Order: sequence, then C-alpha cells, then structure tokens
Amino acid sequence: MGNDDYELIRAVLAGDKDAYGQLVIRHSQSVFRVAFRITENEADAEEVVQETFLRCYSKLKDFDARANFRTWIYRIAMNCALDILKKHKSQAAMPIAEEYDSEQSTVQLADRSAGPDRLLLSQEIEARRKAAMEKLTPTERVAFALRHMEDRSTEEIATALGIAPNSAKQAVFRAVQKLRASLAPLWVKS
Amino acid sequence: MKHLTEEEMIEHYYSEDFYKAETEIHLQACKPCSQAYAELGKLLGSVRAPEAPVRGPEYGEQVWQSIRGSLPRYQPKPKARLFHWPQLVYTAACLLLLAGAFLAGRIWEHTHTRPTVASNPQQAKERVVLFVLDNHLDRSERLLVQLNHAADDKGNVDLPLQAEAKQLLTDNRLYRQSITQTNDPVLAAALDHLERVLLEVANSPDGLDSAEIARIEKEMNTQGLLFQIRVLRTRVSEQTANAQALRKGATL
Repeated sequence: MGNDDYELIRAVLAGDKDAYGQLVIRHSQSVFRVAFRITENEADAEEVVQETFLRCYSKLKDFDARANFRTWIYRIAMNCALDILKKHKSQAAMPIAEEYDSEQSTVQLADRSAGPDRLLLSQEIEARRKAAMEKLTPTERVAFALRHMEDRSTEEIATALGIAPNSAKQAVFRAVQKLRASLAPLWVKS
Repeated sequence: MKHLTEEEMIEHYYSEDFYKAETEIHLQACKPCSQAYAELGKLLGSVRAPEAPVRGPEYGEQVWQSIRGSLPRYQPKPKARLFHWPQLVYTAACLLLLAGAFLAGRIWEHTHTRPTVASNPQQAKERVVLFVLDNHLDRSERLLVQLNHAADDKGNVDLPLQAEAKQLLTDNRLYRQSITQTNDPVLAAALDHLERVLLEVANSPDGLDSAEIARIEKEMNTQGLLFQIRVLRTRVSEQTANAQALRKGATL
C-alpha cells in the first residue's frame, strides 16, 4: 500500500496529474472520517477533505519517500480541521459558555432523574457533549478528538499540531476538565 | 497517603502514565481515588466519537473531480545533462593547468638534480656491494678487536672466534673478487690481508689459545690490519651514505 502510494506520487511529480486522482480516491474516505470527528460538521468535514488534498498536492514534492503517505495526509487534514475550527471560533458571535452553567444544568435535569428513559439521557449527553466540545479551543478540541476518538498518542498529537508534547498533553487535560464540568451534573442526577 | 491528581487519573485512563502498576495498586487501596477514577471512566466512556455520515464508493471520485481543475500539472524535471559547455570548458582548463604544473615539475626536477644517480645496472650493483661491504667490515673489525684482546689475556681462550672467522672468510672471498673488478687496489689489498688472517684463525689445527692468537697477531700484523679496516670502513660508510642520498634525491 505504502509503496503503491509512493509510486503514484512519483508519477504525479513526473507530470501524470491523474495519478493523484487515485491517491484521492484511495484516502478520501478515511480523511473525511477523521475530519468529521474533529469538526463534527458534515459541511466542514467536506471542506477539510478538499483543502487537505489541495494542500497535499502543492506539498507533494516535499514528501519524504521514507514517510507513510497516510500518516502524512492525516497530519495535513488535522491542520486543515484546526484552521476551520479557528475560523469558526473567530466568527462566532454568541458566547456559548453562557448556555450551560452548573446550576442551570441541575435545574434542567431535575425531571430527567425521575424517568428511566435512557435514550433521552443519551441524547442529552450527546447534546451536552457537543456543546462542551464547542466551548473547547480549537487546539483542545483537535487534541481531545485525536486522543479520545482516534486513539493517537500524545507524541503523535504533538507532531500533528506542531506543538510540544507537554502542550499536547495539557490540551487534552483541559479538554477533559471542561467536558467533565459540563457532563458531570448529568451523572449526578442520573 | 498521597491521592492521585486529576491529571494522573486522565493519564492513567489513556494508559500514558509512567507508573501504571503503582497507580493500579493505589487505586485498589484508596477508596476516594478509586471512586473518582470510576466516575472519570464513566464520564469519558460516555463520550463517544460522532458517527461520520456514510460516504459511498463514488465519494473519492467526487472529491477528485472537484479539485482536479484547480491543480496545475507538475513539470517533469529535465534530465540532468552530464556535460554543459561552461562546465566542460572549466574542466578542460583545470586539467590543462594540472598537466602543465606536472610537466613543469618534471622539467625542473631533471634540470636541478645531479646526474650521479645510478643510471645503469653496473652502478646499482656497486651501490649494493658498498652497502654489504660496510656491514662485512664492521663484523671483521669486531672480530679483530676480540682477537687482539684475547692475545693480551694469558689464560686459555675460549671464544667462538673460529666459527665467526669461517663465516667471514666465505663472505670475504666474494667481496674481494667483486672489489678486484672495480678499480680500488687499496680495498682489494686490505681484503686480501683480512682473508689470510681469517684463514689462519678459522683453520688453526689445535684450536685457539692465547699463544696461538699472539702468534697470528705478530706474524700477520692484525693491529695494523685493524687500523686499515677502520679507515676503509669509514670511507665505505661515507660512500654508502652518499649513494643513498643521491638515490633519494632522484626519486623525489
């Protein structure tokens, strides 16, 4: 697989543009999946996929033959996702943090503890999780998504985001703390 | 007992802590930490990755078609030509310069070195003879010195002089014949004198005692021969050194 990728890259660099199409077809599904897990938005994930393959093409001549193309393109995808999150963050007008404070959460969930409806609870958790994820900084969000959902090590996250391993670890900690602050009341009441 | 921090629990949850075993032991022993860790696990366990919408097999092709138009074609690198004109001229100039410097060196060497270097086999042979002769005279000198000292002793003489004399005698014959062919009568005469002494010492029928040695010394004037050998040895050594110096100069 890796060797095939490299052969296609060589063909692209030799002037065969359509060889890049095979690389796109081969990796677009997995890039979309990871992009969606980070952005949690279908349109954003689509945009990340396109931007990733465009950036990848322009940087193709710098690709190190010893590296794994899949890992390399993932890193580019993560950076694209991070850029999109940052863009949205700067455009966001409404302060989401005001939506859920702990006291309000307790009040909102008072009725839930009475009923046994697990489905509703799951939906509530999911809604809370999404809201909490929105409150994370882009770096925290990407770091948490990679750590928790993609099962990447701190080193890998640090490399992908271009930050120090300790910074990556701290980003994951802060993300967990924020999620905990948002979701803990649900568990108390349930 | 020191409780686990939240960071340590998170690290342990993601199996990134350095002291996994110690943390496990602590969690088993410490109820508050165990409870907090269980809550953290429950919380993080509830956070599931969002399911990405399914994309069909045509998705890759769609992505490709959407970006294809905006991608410029890579220009294949032109094959590196081995010789470009400027490089060729530069290389040729360097080679010419190098060859010129080499030739100039050779000419200078020929004009500034003395033509006394052995230029034929005969001269080379003489140089070898001089070298081995120097060694032979040195050994002969030592034997004569031992002989003279033995003559001064009044007791029995028990020296391996005869064996050494026999060896030197054989060599001396060869050198004498060689030197006879070269025009050096002094050296030839000295070697002839040495040969007679060596013959006497080597073939003494009753062995060597101090009386016999004294007789040889007296009859054959070994003291005079020793002096003669020393003078000749000095001369031969100088000739050998000169020959070596010339040879080195020739090879430089």
